[in-house]
Amino acid sequence: MTDTVAESIQELDQAQVLRTAAGSRRRRYLAVLLGWLVFIGLWWLLSLWVDSEARLPSPGRVFQEIVIILQGDFWTQFWASIVRVVAGFLAAVLIGTPVGFFMGRSKYWGNFLQSPVIVAGSIPGLTYAVMAFVVFGISFWGPVLAVGLIAMPYVAINVAEGVRGVDRRLVEMSTAYGRNETQVFRHVTVPSVLPFVFAGVRLSFSLAWKVGTLTEVFGSSKGIGFQIRRNYQLFNMPGVIAWVLLFVLFMLLIERFILVRLERRLFRWRQWEREA
Amino acid sequence: MARVAIDRLSKTFPPPTKGGDPVVAIGDISLDVEGNVFVSIVGPSGCGKSTLLNILSGVETPTRGSASVTEGDRPAHLGYVFQDARLLPWRTVMDNMMYVRDDGDAGAAKAALYLDMVGLSHTHDMFPGQLSGGMQQRVGIARAFSVEPDLLLMDEPFSHLDAITARSLRDHLQELWSATRKTVLFVTHDVVEAVQLSDRIIVLAPGGRIFDDITIDLPPRSPRQKPLVSRRGWPLRASGRRGPPPPSRGTRRR
Repeated sequence: MTDTVAESIQELDQAQVLRTAAGSRRRRYLAVLLGWLVFIGLWWLLSLWVDSEARLPSPGRVFQEIVIILQGDFWTQFWASIVRVVAGFLAAVLIGTPVGFFMGRSKYWGNFLQSPVIVAGSIPGLTYAVMAFVVFGISFWGPVLAVGLIAMPYVAINVAEGVRGVDRRLVEMSTAYGRNETQVFRHVTVPSVLPFVFAGVRLSFSLAWKVGTLTEVFGSSKGIGFQIRRNYQLFNMPGVIAWVLLFVLFMLLIERFILVRLERRLFRWRQWEREA
Repeated sequence: MARVAIDRLSKTFPPPTKGGDPVVAIGDISLDVEGNVFVSIVGPSGCGKSTLLNILSGVETPTRGSASVTEGDRPAHLGYVFQDARLLPWRTVMDNMMYVRDDGDAGAAKAALYLDMVGLSHTHDMFPGQLSGGMQQRVGIARAFSVEPDLLLMDEPFSHLDAITARSLRDHLQELWSATRKTVLFVTHDVVEAVQLSDRIIVLAPGGRIFDDITIDLPPRSPRQKPLVSRRGWPLRASGRRGPPPPSRGTRRR
């Protein structure tokens, strides 16, 4: 009797906890939605006040333009941009990871590489965009180079931080249990550095996109950046804003649905670390 | 039976601050441990207890002298329980148990057996972060026993835990030890703990020297059975005799 009462109380508690969780999730989505509505509302009011399509088109006009673009060659243009950004990004990870590894592993290499990496990381994106254009002219490789150069220092610095942060106590434990260096590298070093690599990737991803697009403005005959410039030259303001919005939207989607999901999956164990 | 042979061992660390003096962790220790005995090493902090275990396990190298752990003609197989659990946070409990062994499924059965012995058979697929500190430490103990070592090194394994958890783990350890009878080197600064668990107690003094070497002669040990230390802190013999025991070097009575 008492057992069943206790059990039903427990069930009620559990239901309560789930309800609260669902409630807070709903409130969160509501806040996001409200934020967008306020933003679009302000934009609309502003466009009424400016009252000039060439300066600030209304949200409705831009939305029409978005529909037109989506029906047209959006995917070709988008794909052109994404291939370049991803290619540049892969180059950054492929070069940045070993550079960061050496920086974190040995003091000598740390000192040797630190200044160039920090300098490379603090040069403004525009410089890379211009430089890539000067080197490659209008070509596929310009944006790739710019993206690679801007993202590489972030990846390297994060990896170096991760390598320095490898828990010595876990390495000692492995030594005491007779694990060899390959095993320690695979099971201790790599898993502890991986979250740092990922942080570097996420941090530099939006930066890479921006620089990639910027480079397309100068030196490309394709891609989102090129479309923004073309519409600008045609004095087609709704077109410019429509392309920019599409760009932002897809950045958010990639971030939310690919990067965040991948991170959650890879670092399932960290969820418990934070709570502990 | 594992044999620990330490011959005129010393370990000096470089000075912690610039211009300071080098730190002598161990100064000229010779020690012999042989057979299925539970040996405690006690002493104040900073007297080289942990360093000694680290040298025996190959984590540190000696400055002078030698230390070897052998099982017959081959190097002995070691298990190590640290002050903290030292589990890989990105691997589940079971995967942590498997990390220290090189066999496949046969090892899994053994790992499961020892997890069961410390009462954690329900945690196989959990991550260390999901367990309490005491449970993590139990995994650490199970891991050390599960490799079926010739020599088990334990470095203040209960010092980070609350008194109640520590006591229950001590009982666990005693059961596991009675079942397996490994050679154990157990570092602690808790004299009562040392007396409860050990056959022999080695007391280190600051500067890493052996201050005393005591053989305890108390077969069934439980803190609830009899007072184990006199009011002055000296271990009591089975006969209840009090007073400082004569220094006896490495004699085993059982």
